[in-house]
Amino acid sequence: MSAQAEIYKLFADKLFRVCLKYSKNYQDAQDTLQDSFLMIFKDIKKFKHKGSFEGWAKRVTVNVALQKFRDKSVLQFDAMEDSNISEEDVFVDVDEKNISLDFLLSLIKELPPKYQVVFNLYILDRYSHQEISELLKISTGTSKSNLSRARKILQEKINNSTNKSL
Amino acid sequence: MKINIDKLFQNKIKELKVTPPYGVWSSIETKLKRRRMLRFFGVSFVSLMSFMFLFSHAEKIVTTDLQKNTTTKQLVKEDPANKFSIVPEVKTTKKVSLFVSDKSKEGHLKLTSTQKISSPKNSRKLSSNYKKQESVKEESFQKVITNTVFEKKLKKFDYSVNNLDSLKKIKKKDLKKKRKELVKKNDAIDSIKFEKDKRKRWNIIPVLGVSNSGRFSKNTTTLGSQRAVTYPEKYFDDNQSSGLISNILGFNIVFRATNRISIQTGIISKELRFITEGLFLTEFIPDVNPTNIVYNPGVEVRFTNTPEIGGAYSESTSLTQTIVYMEMPFELKYRMFGNLKFNTNFIGGFSFLYLNKNEIRAKSNLLSRSIGKADNILTTSLSVNLGLDIEYHLSKRFVFNSAFMFKKHYNTYLNYGNEAAPYTIGMHAGIGYKF
Repeated sequence: MSAQAEIYKLFADKLFRVCLKYSKNYQDAQDTLQDSFLMIFKDIKKFKHKGSFEGWAKRVTVNVALQKFRDKSVLQFDAMEDSNISEEDVFVDVDEKNISLDFLLSLIKELPPKYQVVFNLYILDRYSHQEISELLKISTGTSKSNLSRARKILQEKINNSTNKSL
Repeated sequence: MKINIDKLFQNKIKELKVTPPYGVWSSIETKLKRRRMLRFFGVSFVSLMSFMFLFSHAEKIVTTDLQKNTTTKQLVKEDPANKFSIVPEVKTTKKVSLFVSDKSKEGHLKLTSTQKISSPKNSRKLSSNYKKQESVKEESFQKVITNTVFEKKLKKFDYSVNNLDSLKKIKKKDLKKKRKELVKKNDAIDSIKFEKDKRKRWNIIPVLGVSNSGRFSKNTTTLGSQRAVTYPEKYFDDNQSSGLISNILGFNIVFRATNRISIQTGIISKELRFITEGLFLTEFIPDVNPTNIVYNPGVEVRFTNTPEIGGAYSESTSLTQTIVYMEMPFELKYRMFGNLKFNTNFIGGFSFLYLNKNEIRAKSNLLSRSIGKADNILTTSLSVNLGLDIEYHLSKRFVFNSAFMFKKHYNTYLNYGNEAAPYTIGMHAGIGYKF
């Protein structure tokens, strides 16, 4: 097995998970994964052994996924959003066991792209607002505002769905 | 139950277990092959031309060096005071082989998902009518339960203690497996880096260092075996002879054939020096001096290892034999530890040695001068080389290299076996240029 195949085998599952979070559907996630690996093999010289290879590969994958958003011109941030910042924790009244992962993923995908990206980066991939602002070329205020809106929308949808099921 | 929305998503996303379909790797592989082909056709012509230019240039340097040596020696020959032989013309040929790595197919890939099933809760109700009657029974029942639970725990603990060794073994196996996986992963990363770095596979490294020489045979000087007159049991060969620190100077050319293996050659001027002490200087006794010395014209004195021979003699005379070889190594380097930035290599190979200087100097309280040369050293010989080196890649173009080498010489003397042939232990370092 070639070295590239070996790397694919080691990291494909983990990176596909990242791709699924940032893609509209399964097919888009496959395309993102393919482009990400091509980018990783091309830029592997840039990996300087600072931190783990897995971390570096995930960052490359996130960048590829974000580039796809940019290419589709769906990632347009509004600078006026800075005023709607709420950093309070948001709670939902549900039993965690009764909520499926597929349902939560579908909720994320229903979010407007700009909220979806910030929510994924901050909550699921643990980027800081500073890192998000540098990555998306927006202010930290815009990042916080988008996260806050994403949380509110998700809260509303989860509460609605639980009310319906009741 | 109220739950933080961030934690809800973070917890649930951990359950996501997916494997991409096989088709993804197939298309990646196809694109990689296409990219490689394009790069190959684009770059190969330019690379080939530059390699050919470098080869022809390097060959010119070697030929010029050898021609210089020949000219110098021919001039020396014309000097009636010396009796050196003429240097024959040497031609070098080089071969370069290319290695192509194999590709294999990816295994079968699956799509799986996990779901958790909550277990039903059990409850127990006791009838109040029987409470009093049953209290005594319950107490004894509790005792039995406690004892049973305790015994079970004790058994479990005993089992754990008894199986501690096997648990340790399992843990060790796991650690080994993880370590192997890590090494495999790093290796794979290095292989790809190497593939990317292919354009800088050649290094030229100036070599500067020191070495010490020795022989495996017992104290033999190799300067002659004449028996002393006064002490018939004493031979000149029995005299103490030891190596002196000498210098190494030259350059190595390294070709990185694969991620782990490199081929090394070069031209090195290598000096070997031996000192023979405990000798005496005499003017009249020609039959007890070392038989393998050809004296320079004008050198009237001879040497003996016995002090009682007549005539004037000095009590503190030593002979220093200097042999300089032009060495051309052919070595394989195998990367054992480290990565492409910093690594340790095992070196194995052999060297062709061409005699460049052969001199014997005498030092006493009466004289210190070159007295002649040894007539028993063969012009060409071989050495088998073993060593370790470290490489630290300072930048894209420069690499620091330091090596520790052991070299055993063969076919050095005309009338002595390979046991008397010298060995050298040396260390050299240099900063190389990658191209």
